[in-house]
Parts: sequence; C-alpha cells; structure tokens
Amino acid sequence: MSDGLSRRSFLKLAATASAAAAIPGCEPAARKLIPYVVPDENVIPGVPTFYTTTCAECSAGCGIVARVMEGRVIKLEGNPVDPISQGAICARGQAALQGLYNPDRLGKPNTRRADGTLTAIHWDDATTLINGKLAAAAKAGQDRVAFIGVSQGPTLDRVTKAWAQAFNSTRVGFWEAFSDEPARAAAEACFGRRDLPIYKLDQAETIISFGADFVETWGSPVEYARQFAQFRAPKSRAGNLSIGHAAYVGPRLNSTAAKCDEWVASNPGAEGAVAMAVLNVVVNQGWVAPGAGVDLAALKTLVAAYDPEKISAQTGVSADQIKRIAGWFGQATEGAVALAGTADMQAHLAAHILNAVTGNVGKTVVFLDETPAQATSRPEQTKAIIDAMRDGQVEVLVIAGGNPAYSMPPAYAFKEASKRVGYVIWMGEVPDESADLADLLIPTHHALETWRDTAPRAGVYGLGQPVMQPVYPSRALHDILIASAHLGAGAAAQAISYENAADAINSSWQELQGKIGGSAAPKQFWNDARRHGGVFQDAKPAAVTLNAAALQSKSEPPAAPAALTLWAFPHIFLYDGRGANKSWLQEIPDPVTQIVWDTWAEVHPDTAAKLGLKQDYEQTRLFAGIDVIEIATPGGPIELTVTISPLIKPGVIAVPFGQGHTSYGRYAKGIGVNPFSFLPEGTRSVSVTARKTDKKYKLVTPLGSSDMLGRTIIEAMSVGDLAKGVEPDFGEEKIDRPYEMYDPIQYAGHKWGMTIDVNSCTGCSACIAACYAENNIQVVGKDNVDLGRIMSWIRVERYIQPAAKAGAGPLILIAPMLCQQCDHAPCEPVCPVFASHHTSEGLNAQIYNRCIGTRFCENNCPYKVRRFNWYAPEFIEPLNYQLNPDVTVRGAGVMEKCTFCVQRITTAEIDARTEDRKMLDGEIIPACAQACPSRAISFGDINDPNSAMMKRRNDNKGRDYTMLPEYNALPAVTYLRDLYQEKGKA
Amino acid sequence: MNRILIPVSVFLFVIGLYMVGVSQRPWAARSDVEQPIPFSHRVHAGINKIPCQYCHEYARRSANSGVPPVERCVGCHGSALLGGLEPVTRPWTDEKQSPFEIRWNRVYALPDFVRFVHKPHIWAGVQCQECHGPVETMDRVVPVHEINMGFCVDCHTKRGATQECFVCHH
Repeated sequence: MSDGLSRRSFLKLAATASAAAAIPGCEPAARKLIPYVVPDENVIPGVPTFYTTTCAECSAGCGIVARVMEGRVIKLEGNPVDPISQGAICARGQAALQGLYNPDRLGKPNTRRADGTLTAIHWDDATTLINGKLAAAAKAGQDRVAFIGVSQGPTLDRVTKAWAQAFNSTRVGFWEAFSDEPARAAAEACFGRRDLPIYKLDQAETIISFGADFVETWGSPVEYARQFAQFRAPKSRAGNLSIGHAAYVGPRLNSTAAKCDEWVASNPGAEGAVAMAVLNVVVNQGWVAPGAGVDLAALKTLVAAYDPEKISAQTGVSADQIKRIAGWFGQATEGAVALAGTADMQAHLAAHILNAVTGNVGKTVVFLDETPAQATSRPEQTKAIIDAMRDGQVEVLVIAGGNPAYSMPPAYAFKEASKRVGYVIWMGEVPDESADLADLLIPTHHALETWRDTAPRAGVYGLGQPVMQPVYPSRALHDILIASAHLGAGAAAQAISYENAADAINSSWQELQGKIGGSAAPKQFWNDARRHGGVFQDAKPAAVTLNAAALQSKSEPPAAPAALTLWAFPHIFLYDGRGANKSWLQEIPDPVTQIVWDTWAEVHPDTAAKLGLKQDYEQTRLFAGIDVIEIATPGGPIELTVTISPLIKPGVIAVPFGQGHTSYGRYAKGIGVNPFSFLPEGTRSVSVTARKTDKKYKLVTPLGSSDMLGRTIIEAMSVGDLAKGVEPDFGEEKIDRPYEMYDPIQYAGHKWGMTIDVNSCTGCSACIAACYAENNIQVVGKDNVDLGRIMSWIRVERYIQPAAKAGAGPLILIAPMLCQQCDHAPCEPVCPVFASHHTSEGLNAQIYNRCIGTRFCENNCPYKVRRFNWYAPEFIEPLNYQLNPDVTVRGAGVMEKCTFCVQRITTAEIDARTEDRKMLDGEIIPACAQACPSRAISFGDINDPNSAMMKRRNDNKGRDYTMLPEYNALPAVTYLRDLYQEKGKA
Repeated sequence: MNRILIPVSVFLFVIGLYMVGVSQRPWAARSDVEQPIPFSHRVHAGINKIPCQYCHEYARRSANSGVPPVERCVGCHGSALLGGLEPVTRPWTDEKQSPFEIRWNRVYALPDFVRFVHKPHIWAGVQCQECHGPVETMDRVVPVHEINMGFCVDCHTKRGATQECFVCHH
C-alpha cells in the first residue's frame, strides 16, 4: 500500500470522474501482487526482521540493530548487548538511513571531461580505467599511488594498506577533521601509551570537562550521556542525598555545559590554562593523593605559573570559580574525572595529570590492556602525502571519505596539491567537494550495505554486516580495491588471499577467534558474532603510572585574548560537515540556539553592543537574528548573521562547523560558511575583526520564546529540597483543583503513560530523529520552519532563566515536549468530526482519514504539540524506501501528532493476544524512549503499579510534576524535575 | 445572476455527491479483475480441499496473508502425476511477464490510511470466507462483500471486538 489517496489525486479523480468510470484500468498502481519464486525462510512479509550491525557515522563504534521490512531498512535502533550503545542511539546514528537512501547518491561511475562536466560510464570501463591508471602508476616507481580516506575499521584498513602495497606504495592516510591526536599525544607524554582511556563518569563524584562536549560529539556521546545521567541521579553520599558535581570549561554554554552545575566561561584556547590553574589549586591545597607517587616539587614548579589569580585576565575566569571547581575535584571522596576535548594538547596533559595525581587513574579513568591500534593517521602523516602530491610524486590519488577538500585546514592546500596529481579517483556515496576535484567518480556502498568491523576499544569487537541489498548500483569500496590489487604485480599483490571484503572480514574474524579463544566451532562463532553484532568481552585494565617527564614539560600561560576571537565548534548533528546532506539533521534545531538549516555567529550582548548591533534581546530572549556582520578572517571576509545570547563569553564569536558546502547534495549545498576554510591548523579559534553591514538575513528557529513568561514549564529544584521533601516554590499563583464537571475517566485495562526525567535529559535530540524515522514525519525546509510549520512530533524545549532568577538554579532548562495524552484533552471536544478523541487506553487518538483540517485542536492545545500538514508530504525517491509501512503517510490538510507509537502498541497487543498471554511490561517501547541515550524517557502502564515507568514515578515522588497543571488537562506524561546543587554550597 | 448561480450550484452539488460516491472507489474490491493465468480456487480449495493457509501461509503470522511463492505451485505441479508444470507455465495473458514471475492482479486492496492485520483475525477464529466469500466455489475470485469500514465494524460489533478507531487508523 505504498501510495495513499492524497487530496490532490482525489480532486483530480473527481474532475475526471466520468472518464474514470469509462476507462477500465484507472486504478491505484499497487494493484499487482508479485510473489517470490522461492521465498526466504526468515522473511515474513509484513513482519520486520532485525539484523545487527555497527554504526559508521562516527568513530565511537556503537552497535546497532537494523529493522528490515521486505528487504528495506526502515529504522535503526541501538544494540542492547553492545557495551557502548546498550540499546540507545544518537540522532546522527538514526540519520544514517538518510545517508543510505540519499537521493543525491551517485548512481553510476562518472568520468570528467576536459570541459569539467561529468559523463556516466559503464562499470566495466570504470574498473578498466582504475586498474590501468593504478598499474601505470605502480610501474612508474615507488609510492606513486596515494589513498586518503576515513578509517573503516581494523580489517578494512588493513585491506586498504595491502592494496596500496600491491601498487608499490605506502602512502595511505586515514583522515578525520577532528583528530584525536592531542589526546593520544598527551596520553603518550603522561603514561607512555598512545591510546585513549575509557572514562567511568557514573563512578565519579565530580566531573570537570575542559572543552569536552561529552553529551554531544566528544568520544562516545551515547555512552557518556548514559553514564552522566547515572552520575547526576540523586544518590546517598556520606549519608546525604546528593548529585555529582560537574563543571564545563569553554567559551560557549553548549548542552554539555547546560547539564553541568557550573559553566566556566573561559576564553577560547584557554581551557588548558584553566586546567593548569585547577591543578595549581589541587597541588597547593594538598589534595594530591598520598599514594599517587608523584614528585611534588616538580608538580609545584609545573603549575607555578598558573596561579588562578594571576592568570585570570588571560583565561577570563575568576579565581574564585577556579578554586571552587578545584575544591569539588580535589575533595571528591568517590572519585573525580577530568576530561579534555580541545584541539590543543595542554588541556589534555593537564587533565591526565589531574586524574593521575588525585588517584583517579585506574578508578574513573581506565586504560585497557591490548587497546586497538590507532585508526586515524597522525595529521603529519596525512600532510606528508599531500606534500608529496604537491611535489608531483603522486600519479594516482584515491579519495574515499573524509571529504579532505572541505575539512582540511588551508595550510594543507589540498585542492592545489590535488591538481598536481596525474589522476584523482573519488570513491564515495554523495559527491562532495572532494569529488569536484576528481577525474573519476566511483559510487560505493553505504556502510549499511557492506561488511565491516570495528574495534572501538579493547574487548569490544563490533561486526558490521550488510543489512540490505544495495539501493544504487554501487560497489563496495574494498571490493573494488581488492579486485584491482589482485591485478597488481609482485609479492604484495600475491599475498592478498581474500577474494572480496566479505572474505577479508570473515578470515580476519577467524583469526580473531584464534586470538580471543572460545570453544565454539568456527561456524558457530561466526553466527553468534553476526547475531550479537560482534564479540564483547571484559577487558583487563592496565596498570599505568604517570611519567615523571610529563611534569617537566614547561609551558607559558597564554597571552591575553584578542579583542575579538572567532571560535568554531563541532555542530552536534552536522559534526564536521558529514551530516549536512541529511535533512533530518538539518531540520532538528540545535539544542541550545534552536537554529535550523544554517550557520550562525553567536555573540554576547556586550559584544553585540560593541559591534553596534541593537537588538532588544532582553525582551524577547530570542536568539535567531537578522543582522549580518562581516568578519575579517585570515582566509578572507565572511558574512554571518548574528544571534545574540548570554550563553557565550564576551569577545567571542562562536560559529558551528558543518555547513558551507559547495557540493554534497541538495540538502547541504549553498548553506552557511565552512570554518575549516579559514581556521589555522591545530586550533579552533582565530583572532578576527568584525563590522556591522547593512545586510539582513534571517536565521530561522521554531522556538517561540526563550522565556517561560512567568510560568514554570520546565521545573528544577535543589537537591537539598528534594532530600527534605520540600515542594519548590516558583512564585506562581497556587491554583486549587477546579470543580470537575464530569466523573474521572475509568480505564479498565491499560492506561499508557510516560515519565521523563528532566535531570537526565541532555537535549541531544535523539528522540526527535527516532520519531522522524519511526513515524514518517516530513521535513519541511527552512522557509516553512520560519512559518511555524515544522512537523516534528517531539521537540526539545529550551528556556533561559531570566537574569533576576539566575544563580538560583540552572541557567538553561532543557526537556522534550510531546503530546501529553491528556485525560481532559483540550483538543478533543473542539474537533467537529471526532477525528481527535480519547481511546479506552488513555491515548489521544488522531484519526487522519477523519480529519478535515479545521486546526481547532492545534489552536486549543496548551502544549502546542499538534502539527498540520500544509503540503502533501514529499519523500524524494529513494527516501521513500525508509517509510514505515505500519504508519500512514499523512496527506495535506490533515492534523497529526504523537501517538505514543500506537503501531508498536497495537503490534504488541496482537502478539500478546495471539500468544494468549498478558502484555509484559517493557514490551512496548516508543521510538523516543528506545533511542534515548540517557534513558530519560520511560513508558508503561499507569494502571500497573509494578511497571518500570510507575516505579520510576513513585520512587521519585518528590520530583514528579505535570507541565502546566493550571489547565487541569491531566496529562498522562509526567516529568521529574531537574536537580541542581544548593546555592553557595560546594 | 440567478440564471448562472443556480445551475452552477446544482452542477457543483451533483459533482460533490459524485465525489463522495467515488471517493473510496479505487480501493473497492473489484469483480472485473482477470488474472494472468487461469488459476482456479474452486479446483484447489474446493475439489482438492487444500486449506487456504497452505498457500496463504502468512495470514496467521503477519499483516499480509501472502501470495504463494511459485515454489509452492511447483511443489505439487512438479510431479508428473498431476500434470507437471504445464498448468503453471501456460501462456500468460500478459506477454510482458517473464517466466515464473506471476503478476497477479489484486482483487482486495485497502487505502493507505487503514492498517488491516490478518493475524489477530485468524487467531480469533474468523473464517476466511467471512470476508472473502465462498472462494472455494469460484474459478476466478470475485469479491462478495465490499470491504469497507461498515463491513468491518458490523462484524466487530457482532463479535464484541474492539471498536477503537486507532486500532486500524494510525
């Protein structure tokens, strides 16, 4: 039933009614039924099949499960047995589907003609061309072939290196724009090992993050968001109910900082100096752990130059604040952890030393035995390849991912260097800026269509299997490489024993079994690995000690900041630009600024005043702006629209990475600016000048107001009040329960409800992406978002505390808002056609085929969660392959809203009934709750006091509240209040 | 003025009535559907008493009842005793079809805004014939009942089954 009867076709049909009656065969297209010749035993049409695989959207290596119906992946979920994702998945992971079904993917191999245009060629011609060029280059001498791309996991990276060797070359560079090089270099300096530790945030009492956006993009955000939620959950420590202390150091209040107790607004690039200042306090206060075994004198000399008072001007942080957070850190009895995520090394070094001297290495910061080899090449290795290209030493360059033309710093001059290369072959999915430099463009499989493996850490071996047949007539990158390598001459080519990528993975996993043991037969081992998505073992922690030499590295405090600094940060969804071709990621608002589809320049009101921008920011507290400024950068002037916000350090212009594509498909092209194009190597900030221009350009946000306008929508309370059982007073008028005109509704069977822990919610918006995927929600584009026509059923609300209330609690409040499924739903009585009505299980049903589009319900909804289809939805082929067949695609003129994923409820009810049993608690998980990395959302039966959701609600009675109770709408969704530390208490 | 307005409004009214009338028509079960091969349900389900779910095997497990794979036909017809493959590979009415790809024409179809699931109906003991009519007596399947919401709700009322809109419309 792939095509609905839209209103338009209905009208067309009526207009040609007589003709329709006369012409036989005027019928819906899906009137044919074509059976299998031989059916697949494991496939039941209409019932989803689940395949485990690994997510390739970032290097965290989460295990995922693909839900496949009739041979098409329709949804990705976290893999519950995977130790990293543990069943959750982030927004970027969800949007991998839009990469798979991207309408801009290259369909056929293309060559570039002399005039620069592309012509499609046959696959056979393409492979002949590739093999011929490679063979000629290999014959010309050593290292004439080069490869620059992203790391694809241990086995495939080995394949790539073997391929290069078969062509007499060692020039293989695995490129990541946000390199983990500083972290690795710091680990080497401190502990003599170039690997990354794992962090156990849940076991800490204090977390200080020096620029590490651990719930957004740093490390494995899914894992750290989960740990952080546990860390922030109220626990009894030393007899008192308390929550962990967290501080974030950085120039911008992002969603990580929003969840911390303290945002330490440092100057860009001064995070390392702040870390050293914290170390200074820790050392001088005598908080160094007695058993740490460090040379105290050396330590004191190391930090001597970083007295918090003395460097306050350079860091922009007051000494009091540094002393306060250092106190949390040094006096934590249950362990503390310092994280660093900056592009310079100092913060990483200081964080390692901090962890080591307070005895936390081995407790909350654990290095593992047998950590997998570094996947991404060191920047200097990649740079050496580019230098060789520039010197004309490279005949054939293969670019496979990483988009170097977009994401490399200008100092690399990648574009110029590639012009000196004889033949550039680009292999990828959606042609990007790097493809524009290529002579030959080869379409490759998406990660969900190929075999791959991952080794994110010791003991975790993820296996990625293809979960569906390729969408386009593309080929697997490594199949192409292996096939051409077999034709190479010499011993290196002969040494390649595997036939293709699948074979390579299989044989490398046979070796793995030999290494990690296990008594299962090889076939059984392989099948188990495919079933579980890999092999997961507990890794042994390694004993590490701090190198004495690490304390010798002298560094000078940074210079005082420039008057104006441009500081770029990875966008939570677009990251380094790879997410920009996915419309979900473009349309989900950034959690803090709430801006969609754009690059913005975030400045403090003081900075804005200096630039001569007048915006009545205090009144509206709205961020999206219209004033364009011109910023003079080292790479030339750029123009950006300013958004004025108190959530940024004065003197800083914060700009997200990710946009500014000149290619990369219809959703990415022509939006915003690319900060990579002007930032110097190894830093994310640069001193600039800016001036106001007369231009106006509108940044778009679906946000109505940043102020709760005197009401308390998202509530927060202090942990002390929670311990004492005091209801917080928000200064609102107390409203008695009004007179009830009707008897309360009785629910005989189930009554579905939800509880959302605001204290756990990080605003990561995984729920939104999951909802888009599960419920066939259309993307409307920037202009329609501006008109208030965004369609997402769930949104992440963000409010800023007014200046008067600041200091009493968190500065910004974040919580998801979705249909509250009210008992006294204001939407229901106003519907003239009963399209909106109440079900016997407590849901607010919205019957699409009954809806006539009066929008009275939307008007009457106090939570503003109903969405109207202003246009017929458009799912450009093959994005329509992703549509969930269990959910109607709503037509134009129809109201829609959150249904608590009623299709999942119905399916579970049918399963329970046919199996003649009661429904189990946890059998139904709505898409948002399933995706949530921090497990903030619980769903269950309100009538069952033993359901996990009701237990959570009852165990947290002191925090349980409903939004906007004055409407007496009696929502089925309740929230648990956000928690903060008592004011003035450390 | 009225000379124009009245005929126009009468015309619009008639068109409007007609629109209401045809609104569900493309989805209505159709009696004029010819199949590409002369397959007879009467011979299979009637004379030879093959149970419905022998071929429509997914009905008790899924939303779709499933169209039997060609393999299922060959399972019996492959035996020389029963006439070999001849009945299955008889010339198609549609010449564009490749061998073994039987493009059946749908008799029953539902609009996109209805989610009908066979599974719970089978498990509740609803006989196939209650909706599809006495298929075992038909050479060519023709609908007996028009499958519209009234038909569904009638039966749900009689059997005391759920009448929640949300169960089918979501």
